[in-house]
Amino acid sequence: MPHFLTNKRLIILLGSIILLVAMIGFSMRDRENITWPEKFVKDVTGFGQNILSKPAGAVESFFDNVGRLRHTYEENEKLRTHLEELAQLESDVARLEKDNAELRKVLEKEESLADYEPVQATVIARNPDRWYELITIDQGESNGIEPDMAVMTASGLVGKVQSTSKFTSTVQLLSAHDSNNRVSALVQGDKTVYGLIEGYDEEKQMLRLTKIPSDSKVKKGQAVTTSGLGGVFPKGLVIGEVSELVPDEFGLTQTALVKPAASFYDLEHVMVSKREMTKVLPEEEDRQQVVVEEEGM
Amino acid sequence: MKKALLPLLMAVLFYSDSVFMIFFSEQAFDGDYIPAPRFFIIGLLFMSVFFDRNTAIKYGFFFGFLFDMFYTGLLGAYFFFLPLIVYITSMLTKWLHSTLPVFFVIVLFDIALLELVMYGLNVLVQRTTFSFEQFTYMRLLATLVLNGLFYILLAIPLRGAFLKLKKVFD
Repeated sequence: MPHFLTNKRLIILLGSIILLVAMIGFSMRDRENITWPEKFVKDVTGFGQNILSKPAGAVESFFDNVGRLRHTYEENEKLRTHLEELAQLESDVARLEKDNAELRKVLEKEESLADYEPVQATVIARNPDRWYELITIDQGESNGIEPDMAVMTASGLVGKVQSTSKFTSTVQLLSAHDSNNRVSALVQGDKTVYGLIEGYDEEKQMLRLTKIPSDSKVKKGQAVTTSGLGGVFPKGLVIGEVSELVPDEFGLTQTALVKPAASFYDLEHVMVSKREMTKVLPEEEDRQQVVVEEEGM
Repeated sequence: MKKALLPLLMAVLFYSDSVFMIFFSEQAFDGDYIPAPRFFIIGLLFMSVFFDRNTAIKYGFFFGFLFDMFYTGLLGAYFFFLPLIVYITSMLTKWLHSTLPVFFVIVLFDIALLELVMYGLNVLVQRTTFSFEQFTYMRLLATLVLNGLFYILLAIPLRGAFLKLKKVFD
């Protein structure tokens, strides 16, 4: 191989490797949001993406609808039976909501962890290299979206906002492999049990609910929702249901495998929930300290 | 005016990856196989061979940069490796005649190389828990099949487009 690596080329190669490492290091840092040049690039690229994916999405949902037409009759039958229950349920909800509001007034506790304001968004891109479970949605800072907000579909929680630019946001799905990706959750039952959604079992396609106290009795089929204690997510968003219990390595806590209620695949429309109650995240300097302490443990 | 067709073609190829992901159901094959579309890279390799290598390297830098920022958020990965792959391809085509069947093998080799590099990088930054076997069976083979199909369907039109564009620029 003559002239394959001349001096000039070697220097360029080494220089770019250094640049590569520096850039990866920069993007892997624990940062709150992306820098403004990145935001700018995202907005411009997102504009082009919008032009192409909106029609593509429309075509796709048209074919979906055609496919669904075949099952219309059976679906209709099923829905009709549900409809009868729904009327009763609706009046119950209205009554309970009124009760709740009145009781809150009595207690002088107007705000609740469960209050949130949903923002509708359309998925315009999914990371095509398929290494990270990231999707891009067409709503950004101009619609009041901020990093760390909860993202859900009609059936349940799917992820959280990772970064925002003016007109787009990037959402990290719960199935993504990231050790910083934790959600404070609770298991509904006679006695509420708290835990952390942490990690995803690729093979079984289930979420792992960790840090459940070993003496608490969690049963298969119990519903898991967000607890609102993490400080960013509102309370009561459905995550899934418990499907299996496994003891922890040291036997101090238990881990439950949770079957997610929402599908992480083929997402089209999502809702971003703006929590109404003030966030409880500490100031930035304090937060750094918390991270260091956690790592030290 | 016709010169604007080149960036336009590359931009369409760039977005085609994610548009493909809109149509392609991720639950196909029960999630056992994860084929990743690499259509832009195929287009870039055609550009490097049938149009001009240095322009292709510049496009690799630019679109690699966009890819990193917009899709993955891991800056530097595609920005660095897309131009490198173009360079390796130009080295290979110097020794091998770039007829379409030979080029097919080169393209698949390049895509496999890129997948391997990306896997290595993701293991390094701990963004994946895939073992090497899982990676080979679930990702690599499926990706090669998908992009091989794309190549077979679009090799002749792509080559024609870049040869025509070359005439326009000359």
